[in-house]
Amino acid sequence: MSKDVKDYDVYEVFSQKEPTGKFESQFSLLAPNADVALAMAQENFMRREEVPSNLFVVKRENIHFMPPEKRKALLRLDNKDYRQPSHYGYIPSKWRELKEKNAPKASV
Amino acid sequence: MFKPEITIHSDDPRVQEFLERIENGEKIEVDDWMPDDYRLQLIKLIAMHGISEIMGAFPEKEWVPKAPTLKRKLSLMAKVQDEVGHGQLLIRVAEDLMHPLGKTREDLIEDLFSGRLKFHNVFHMPAPSWADAALIGWLVDGAAIVTQKMLAHTSYAPYARALKRIILEERFHAYHGEDMVIALGDGTEQQREMMQDALNRWWPALLMFFGPPENGEIKSNQEINIRYKIRSKTNEELRQEFLDKYVPQIRALGLEVPDDNIYYDETKKQWVYTHPDYTYLRDVIAKNQGPRSQNRLNLRKIGFDNNEWVREALLHNQKAIS
Amino acid sequence: MVKKYNTPEEAKQDQQYLDTLKELIFQLADDDLLISHRGSEWLGLAPHIEEDVAYSSITQNTMGHAAMLYELLEELGVGKADDLAHLRKPEEYRNARLVERVNGTGDYKENPDYDFGYAIIRNYAYELFKKIRLEALQQSSFVPLADTARKIKREQYYHLYHWEVWIDQLAHSTDEAQKRLNNAIQKTWEDVASLFDLGPKGDQIVEYGLLESGEMLKKKFMDQFKAKMENSGLIWPGEPQPLSETGREGRHSEEFVDALNHLSEVYKMDPQASW
Repeated sequence: MSKDVKDYDVYEVFSQKEPTGKFESQFSLLAPNADVALAMAQENFMRREEVPSNLFVVKRENIHFMPPEKRKALLRLDNKDYRQPSHYGYIPSKWRELKEKNAPKASV
Repeated sequence: MFKPEITIHSDDPRVQEFLERIENGEKIEVDDWMPDDYRLQLIKLIAMHGISEIMGAFPEKEWVPKAPTLKRKLSLMAKVQDEVGHGQLLIRVAEDLMHPLGKTREDLIEDLFSGRLKFHNVFHMPAPSWADAALIGWLVDGAAIVTQKMLAHTSYAPYARALKRIILEERFHAYHGEDMVIALGDGTEQQREMMQDALNRWWPALLMFFGPPENGEIKSNQEINIRYKIRSKTNEELRQEFLDKYVPQIRALGLEVPDDNIYYDETKKQWVYTHPDYTYLRDVIAKNQGPRSQNRLNLRKIGFDNNEWVREALLHNQKAIS
Repeated sequence: MVKKYNTPEEAKQDQQYLDTLKELIFQLADDDLLISHRGSEWLGLAPHIEEDVAYSSITQNTMGHAAMLYELLEELGVGKADDLAHLRKPEEYRNARLVERVNGTGDYKENPDYDFGYAIIRNYAYELFKKIRLEALQQSSFVPLADTARKIKREQYYHLYHWEVWIDQLAHSTDEAQKRLNNAIQKTWEDVASLFDLGPKGDQIVEYGLLESGEMLKKKFMDQFKAKMENSGLIWPGEPQPLSETGREGRHSEEFVDALNHLSEVYKMDPQASW
């Protein structure tokens, strides 16, 4: 066996539960190409899961991970409530209050 | 052979920083900087774990074509398939760690054949009856589950992720094994005898599985693993957990623990039992001279050699596209 | 217009129909049992770990299909599914010769000298035939069998796809791989005709609308197999030799008897016991 290519490539396997769902990473396997990787993926990693609606594989070298020293870029302060719907939780009761306050007065 | 330059004892400031991360409960990823001895300890542990799953398929596999009913044929096949699948997960984790050292799966398999890479003692043992297949599913898996639960807390994230998958499937294995032994232990006279014989045969190997007791003297190897939080318990602690869970099950089945001296010491809260001869691990098993060591290695080798043309053909295609 | 039988009870009212139906289901079940048994001997010996896992799923699916078919026989009052799978005499099994062939020489526990090329081609041939037969069975006059065929076919798609991927990979790679596949085709061809044989009750099987004729199955098979070989640059071996003796009449090889002894060894220790 030639020494320049010693083993198969690493492929990462992703699967999608349902057509409207996101793809999630399953695990990785060794395969000489994407066709073989695809033919092995489900039985290697999803034998007990519900049948996925789709799969894809990516050669590991084509995936770019955030390098360890840059992962600090993922940090942020926990002060962004204003992005959350829960931050506006007062609104329904405020509407009720306003409706009551400004209801047209019944004519006598 | 890769010589570790930067170790836990080095005064490289990165080692201190690394240990602090570990102590803070942070997880390490494959592309993080790590001391050389951390990498080597992981490779040694995970490669052995992975290859043991692969080799562990063989004793049970002897009974797959012979499994008694259609249902057993199916469930035993699924179980042995899982073992091979666990081997796949673990060996992948080891491969990624070996990558910077220029080593691949093929090197790992060659290390197995040359005896540099060991596999667990229990898979060197014969499985002469159907009850042995049941016992493996019950107690060998039981022992593995105890160890793997501890390892799931490992500081190395890819290993922990693989173990998470494995432990989920082991829940099926535990029930699968118990289902088989309940059928035999609660079955006919002949079945009960088969079961007791298998237990007698396997008992010393099961105790040995966890390794020699430390008796208060932790070896440097193990100390490194504990400081790096690769593992968190001693051999003896794990063996005690195994006895806690399985001695009552053995008795519930009406089987006898093949040790006249075993008892639970209520004050010390631990099992007192007859230790097997642990030198057997070093003098026989580690040299691949156990009863079925050569047979199992030979099966792996036949599988490897007979299919070399397939791997060569696929590598040929891979080169063509890259 | 052939008469439909909607339930096992309806089939049981018509003794001749029942006998013909049993004959056919034994062929289907025994084919799956034996090829799955051969697959189970491969476990742990495939070219790489990922393939070992994937191939085992196919083997399990196939054993699951056999179990469904034996259960159908059980519903027809033929006997307990496990007894049918394990306790019949060799001459009572109705599988084709192709599925009982050994994987290679040597004992599976000691020195299995198995040929993955033969595994690919034999399995491809069997799965292609099985697909064609399942398609025909979906029109079967025995409705529970048609339903079972429909269910089986859903997961059988993967089997054929899997072995096709292997052919596609290897046929266009090294000279050695191509040579091995061609040899495997020759070897498969020694037994391939056994698939299309519908056995001593073949005419009744067709008359009762249980399955289409062996000639029809054969024609479809040959067309598709030939196309695959030609697309892959493999050598089409031509018309297979007619059979001298047939598994559908219970005539089996010694290899079959060994396989049967293995697969029933434990069950036979005590068929009354719970295992």
